[in-house]
Amino acid sequence: MNAVVEARRNVRVTLRVNGEQTEVLFAPYKTLLEVLREEMNLTGTKHGCELGECGACAVLLDGVPVLSCLVLAIECEGRSIETVEGLARGSELHPLQAAFADLGGTQCGYCTPGILMTAKALLDKEPDPGRERIREAISGNLCRCTGYLQIYESIEEGARRMREEAK
Amino acid sequence: MSAPAVQFDPSSARFGSSRTQKRLEDDRLLAGNGLYSDDRNLPNQAWMVVVRSPYAHARTASVNADAARTATGVLAVWTSGDLSADGVGHIPIPPLFKRADGSPMAAPLRTLLADGTALYVGHPVAAIVAQTQVQAQDAAELLEIDYEELPCVIDPRKAILPGAPQVSAQAAGNISAEQRYGDAAAVTAAFAQAAHVTRLELHNQRLIATALEPRCALAQFEAGRWTLYTQTQQPTGTRDALAAVFNTPPQQFRVVVGDIGGGFGMKTGLYPEDALACYAARKLGRPVKWRADRSEEFLATHMGRDQHFKAELALDPKGRILALRMEGLANFGSVPVGSSAIIPLVLGPKVQTTVYHVPVIDYRVRGALTHTMATGAYRGAGRPEGNYLMERLIEKAAHEMKIDSVELRRRNLIQPGQFPYRTHLGETYDAGEFERMLDGALAAADWNGFAARREEAKRRGKLRGRGLAVYIEWTGALPTETVDIRVDADGTVTVFSGTQAMGQGLETSYVQLITEVLQIPAGKVKIVQGDTDQANGTGSVGSRSAFVGGSAIVAAGRETIARGTELAAQALESAATDIEYLNGRFRIAGTDRSIGLAELAARQAGRQIRVTATETPSSPSWPNGAQVCELEIDPETGEIELVNVTSFDDIGRIINHMIVEGQIHGGIAQGVGQALYEQAIYDAESGQLLTGSLMDYCVPRADQFPQMATHFDESVPCRTNLLGVKGCGEIGTIGAVPAVVHAVLDALSPYGVAHIEMPITAEKVWRIVAG
Ligand code: FES
Ligand code: FES
Repeated sequence: MNAVVEARRNVRVTLRVNGEQTEVLFAPYKTLLEVLREEMNLTGTKHGCELGECGACAVLLDGVPVLSCLVLAIECEGRSIETVEGLARGSELHPLQAAFADLGGTQCGYCTPGILMTAKALLDKEPDPGRERIREAISGNLCRCTGYLQIYESIEEGARRMREEAK
Repeated sequence: MSAPAVQFDPSSARFGSSRTQKRLEDDRLLAGNGLYSDDRNLPNQAWMVVVRSPYAHARTASVNADAARTATGVLAVWTSGDLSADGVGHIPIPPLFKRADGSPMAAPLRTLLADGTALYVGHPVAAIVAQTQVQAQDAAELLEIDYEELPCVIDPRKAILPGAPQVSAQAAGNISAEQRYGDAAAVTAAFAQAAHVTRLELHNQRLIATALEPRCALAQFEAGRWTLYTQTQQPTGTRDALAAVFNTPPQQFRVVVGDIGGGFGMKTGLYPEDALACYAARKLGRPVKWRADRSEEFLATHMGRDQHFKAELALDPKGRILALRMEGLANFGSVPVGSSAIIPLVLGPKVQTTVYHVPVIDYRVRGALTHTMATGAYRGAGRPEGNYLMERLIEKAAHEMKIDSVELRRRNLIQPGQFPYRTHLGETYDAGEFERMLDGALAAADWNGFAARREEAKRRGKLRGRGLAVYIEWTGALPTETVDIRVDADGTVTVFSGTQAMGQGLETSYVQLITEVLQIPAGKVKIVQGDTDQANGTGSVGSRSAFVGGSAIVAAGRETIARGTELAAQALESAATDIEYLNGRFRIAGTDRSIGLAELAARQAGRQIRVTATETPSSPSWPNGAQVCELEIDPETGEIELVNVTSFDDIGRIINHMIVEGQIHGGIAQGVGQALYEQAIYDAESGQLLTGSLMDYCVPRADQFPQMATHFDESVPCRTNLLGVKGCGEIGTIGAVPAVVHAVLDALSPYGVAHIEMPITAEKVWRIVAG
């Protein structure tokens, strides 16, 4: 048996995704992106490059945005993983999602999950960031459709609604 | 060009008002529930990878697939010989064009795999299918292809020189096609009278669409019929091209498209990988999936622009245009796609004289073959190139003649009294208020207050510039769409359209239209697109969806009422002329006897009402407008900071303001990208793509983006379609390219530069400032 075949033996790992513990079987070289999409059928997380260059695959790992295409799933055991599927509360959109809907923050929707998660991480830490902070925070998330303006406005409005809620 | 009898007014809509209607797509997309092509999988699916040429031009002398074939999990390895042995053909392109000698356009056939000679880096050479994607990728490493490298040519200006390496034996001198417009003799005469001639040579550089969603295909062959899940702006066109490749009737194929992660023209036509997946699925009797990685997206999806121009503008002493003489040379790439030729040869010329009165033109455009990926449709497709050239000419003429550039534009704008206006290129503009758009943009951008802002910037050590562009767009290509409507017994109204949503919110706009015509709540309406078994049409290209597809929806809605009126007359035992329709009910006028749409459907055979309507707007439309850009340059670094872009557009009536604004913003973003950041570069010697990743090809990022202010003038509705809309998908791009470039040139005016080629990078600026 050579090393390649050896490495392709599956491992069994418990992942905590959107608050739920699940045991998943996957090859140890699989990225978190691949495991979410292919093994757990959580296809809300997107891929645009699988090289860490586009931000489409951003998810939160222990509350911090990471590019899931660059993270090995095996390293995520026991850590909290948040994806876009966990954002809504039941059938009700998260205030950030609702702001995107109200202000045109999404067009084709392909960059949206990554941007929503990145923005959520920012707002969880900084409830009232200015435009500059928002620009910086999402500068790693490519969007080819919107020209970003409606995204900034959506995030600002989402922040306002989240602050309202927290009162 | 008569106006439609009753024009529908989307802005008066009562259910989904143009200012308040939210996108119906968003609940799904924001929750991560979109269904994009790679989100689908089928039981027992195998995986295909495509092996691509690492050379720009090479003979594939021999292929040894033994090791690959016997690798773990491998199901098949194919090269072009296997496909031809199975009777698989090539992807057809429309035979519309000719060479100068009258012979048909010459180009290599677009076979699914390179036929003995690879003609660009990334040209598919072999397909490997295995149980898993990783196995197929591993097997690709084992494929031994013996390439004999041949000389290549990348620059079309070099390709047409004697002795250049030839791309195709059919295309002598690498000229694939040629088109001429205008009147050379009249132009020569006009130039003889000119007080001033402005000359300009420029390159509209090669761009890569870079939709964020990589292409993906999943094919299944069952009971003698294929289903292909893919992402295309033209499902029906894709189906028909597949039928041609496999020499079968189109009904053998069902093309299904879900959500699309951006198209921008690049997801048009059939790609070889889609057809290869279909071939594999039939051959292996199981579903086969292929998905591009980003590098394949860069190498092997068709690119945009890459046109060289030489132009001369003749003016009288007052700066009035007398004539335009120009020469275009387009780089088709090596294996043209369906849209390669039409863009430079037809679509650019359509708008070449833009908003100005240009009495005569002499225009020759040629398409050259080079050892590069094909160029084809990309946002604007020909119109940004045409408008950019005209705006650069007029701006340069103004500087040379020392006439204020706004004033020079005014002197040449086509005036309202000149409509319908026939251009010397043979197009007819139905209406336009070009000067009003210009004034609107100048006022909105506070053009006249610029001096103070420049002063203020100067105190901060910055060079501030302002740039203007006035432009026209042409929309309404392929002007027929057919829409079916089905009313079910539960009152659901299903609308079937062959146009294709790709992020532009079509579902929402269409629901707004149909709820308005039928006066029913949005919740009762379902829009079906992206399934060739259910709906067929031209698809979504050239900003035609609202214009043509939307008009057909209104026509089908009206047809539903007409048919329903007849059926209601029978049901209510009354004359059809006595029936009136209101809020989803048919009523005998002046009585309380009525029947609802749902109930009426329930009474029909099959418990449904079905209607079909075909709508053909009587002529294309001419959205137009003006844009102003302001920016600042840091002379220390050459860094450009965009301050704002202001647009003032006549796109006719607006169905949904939020969606339209987003379309303009996105269009501007891609125009800014071309002006300042993006360029696909092939190495001139080796033909390698040097900008083959998101690190090398600079798609604008959030921190590079300016404030944008969009303004609309809805007072000139288009008269040739039912909605009065003109199309908004591409106009932002058309305006932004020249507006941004002019702003840079203005900021650099102390340095006396007449022209800078795009993209105007910080480095180029720095070199100018540093002298
Ligand atoms: S897919 Fe992870 S950054 Fe692009
Ligand atoms: S909405 Fe399409 S990439 Fe951002």
